Amino acid sequence: MLRSKPKHAFGAVHAAACAALLLTAGCQQSVSLGPVADEVAATKIREALLSGDGGGEVQAAESGGTGWATLKGRFVYEGTPPVMPAYDVKGGDMQVCSPGGVTPKQETLVVDPETGGIANIAVYVRKAPRVHESAQALTDSVLFDQKECVFLSHVFAINVGQTMAIKNSDPVGHNTNIEGKNAFNQTVPAGGTVEWPITKEEALPKAVRCSIHPWMLSYLLPRKDRYFAVTNEKGEFEIAYLPAGEDVELQVWHESAPGNSGAVVLKSPEAKELSWSSKGRFTVRLDPDSTKNLDLAVPSSAFGG
Amino acid sequence: MANLNRSIVRLTALGGLLFSLGCGSSEPPAFRLNMVAMTSGEVTVAEDYQQEIANVLDGVFGTPDHPRVISETGLDQSLLDMAAGPAWSDDAGANYGLYRKHCVHCHGISGDGRGPTARFLNPYPRDYRPAVFKFKSTVNAAQPTDDDLHRVLINGVPGTSMPSFALLPSGEVESLVEYVKYLSMRGQLETALTNFTNDELGVDDGERFALDPLNDPEQGEIIKEMLAEIVEGWDAAGDQVIAPAEETAPLDDRSPQEIAQSVEAGRKLFYGKQANCYTCHGPTGLGDGQQDDYHVWNKANKLFMDEIANEELRIQEGWEGDDLTKEDKDDLRAREEALVARREVASTLYPVRNAIPRNLRQGVYRGGRRPIDVFRKIHTGIAGSPMPGIGTTLSEEQLWNIVDYVLSLPYEAASQPQRALAENIAEIN
Repeated sequence: MLRSKPKHAFGAVHAAACAALLLTAGCQQSVSLGPVADEVAATKIREALLSGDGGGEVQAAESGGTGWATLKGRFVYEGTPPVMPAYDVKGGDMQVCSPGGVTPKQETLVVDPETGGIANIAVYVRKAPRVHESAQALTDSVLFDQKECVFLSHVFAINVGQTMAIKNSDPVGHNTNIEGKNAFNQTVPAGGTVEWPITKEEALPKAVRCSIHPWMLSYLLPRKDRYFAVTNEKGEFEIAYLPAGEDVELQVWHESAPGNSGAVVLKSPEAKELSWSSKGRFTVRLDPDSTKNLDLAVPSSAFGG
Repeated sequence: MANLNRSIVRLTALGGLLFSLGCGSSEPPAFRLNMVAMTSGEVTVAEDYQQEIANVLDGVFGTPDHPRVISETGLDQSLLDMAAGPAWSDDAGANYGLYRKHCVHCHGISGDGRGPTARFLNPYPRDYRPAVFKFKSTVNAAQPTDDDLHRVLINGVPGTSMPSFALLPSGEVESLVEYVKYLSMRGQLETALTNFTNDELGVDDGERFALDPLNDPEQGEIIKEMLAEIVEGWDAAGDQVIAPAEETAPLDDRSPQEIAQSVEAGRKLFYGKQANCYTCHGPTGLGDGQQDDYHVWNKANKLFMDEIANEELRIQEGWEGDDLTKEDKDDLRAREEALVARREVASTLYPVRNAIPRNLRQGVYRGGRRPIDVFRKIHTGIAGSPMPGIGTTLSEEQLWNIVDYVLSLPYEAASQPQRALAENIAEIN
């Protein structure tokens, strides 16, 4: 009798624990697991997809414009430019990654102290209605280098069909780990180069990392045409041979824009004129053979500040 | 004693009551959405869109009790019917509901790797939805072949909680392979629909653009294209198997001297600046090198939680600003509101774990212990993990040298814990 008592006591505790578990684990989950499919709606969708003619032919969008034009611009930071801290470098390769004890600065928000220009903003056409022959995708090999444990191209735009020549200019080994549809992860030996053909377009830049040196970070933007630009250190960009006479929608991306999408959202009067959206997009209609110049002030709040 | 018994009965009854009342146990299990993806973007997928995405997914793939696949997926309906639904056996002894019988308690109804036991396991069970699998014969970015999934089910994954299902009849294993692919494709379509909703839909000038393939034939076409691309990826897996040339593969009847030579060449590569294996697996081979990175599954959750913390900070700084206009305050309140749903999702996530490089001295090989299994890992890396490949740089012969060295490590006569041998340090420096 005595011997069996602890067993029962355990049983009681066990039952209580079960009840508690059910209460916390079993029921709590329903809070944030999102909606469940509506069977009636789902069945209708299924029938429509199976029949293949869910209500008429898909109409191809007609191109309305003629001629070509250039879009230029500049992104200028409003307020005191942020000071970039050094990368959080650690591990066994300090001599290479922090030469002479000087560690390269981070590039999460690079603002030119003189002009206020914001570097590394990607500006690109979402869906070009027409593509000029000078803006067709290239097929050559483009250098993507790394030195002192920093990717030398922080935002790297490239065409589908081009090849990344991933070079390692350091005397230590790196690996290059590309996220997204062009997924790749290979070791790049000290002083070596590895080629990687880009085959898929992305709507937003994808992270490129090195697992050996986890602070290393860069972004890859693979696009099907040349209608893209990355702002230089003065915050300037230029996209030539854009379709004129019709609406062209551009995406604006920066890694430090709040949220995970990187959408740069501007609310200035000039931005409103461009019908700037919450997804970081604006629309222009350019006159043939013209050059439109945008001077865009970016408040710190666009980076969540 | 009688009191004790009574209290047990009472507690059990209470538990049962809570279960039946609180959790709605009579409802059939339902697929759930990836709420991290739904709430992580700058433009959160609003609830009405979540409902529409769930409806489309159900339209294409059906429910956990009634999977229905359209022919484009190439999936075998009869195999899925064996795996889906509640577990039962017919009079002839044929088993049904195999997924719920064998897999669901770890991998979850939706294949999200979040079954009831998942939280207590290390490593966490695989989340099938991103269609990223570590243990396969194909190149890093490719899908696994059916044979690969079959092999994992038969062998289990040594060193993890994944057991072997070698005792199941082969037809049942085949049915489970099909069901894993089904859950993966479903997850891939969910991601594609989420991206489409984020990129193309939304509210513009007060007008909401719905995800509605029923009334928008163009969307129907787009969904079929998404599905075609997903299926193409799976169909192409067989063409992306890493197959080294036969003449480079080590022979079975090598002499001890030949093996020793290959091991020595592999050792030099392992600690050299070309292959760099030691940077993560450590100068000891114990896996004590770089440990700061994450697997993709953990990384997604980490980025999600980091972003919540960043947004909290930004909102706090926002309130501390001078001369806040009414518009500013409304904006900050809206952002606080948006954070509520995300915090709720974050509260359901498991602790984020770092990716720890494998201790190569244990002789436990999760992806298989055959030399070809190790060869493929070194060639292309391990999908979803920080482990890179070196196949584009080294010759196949060199890769086999590293295989020989790695497979020799558990047998290397050395004290434990293994010290970094001076000769290995000499290679590093």
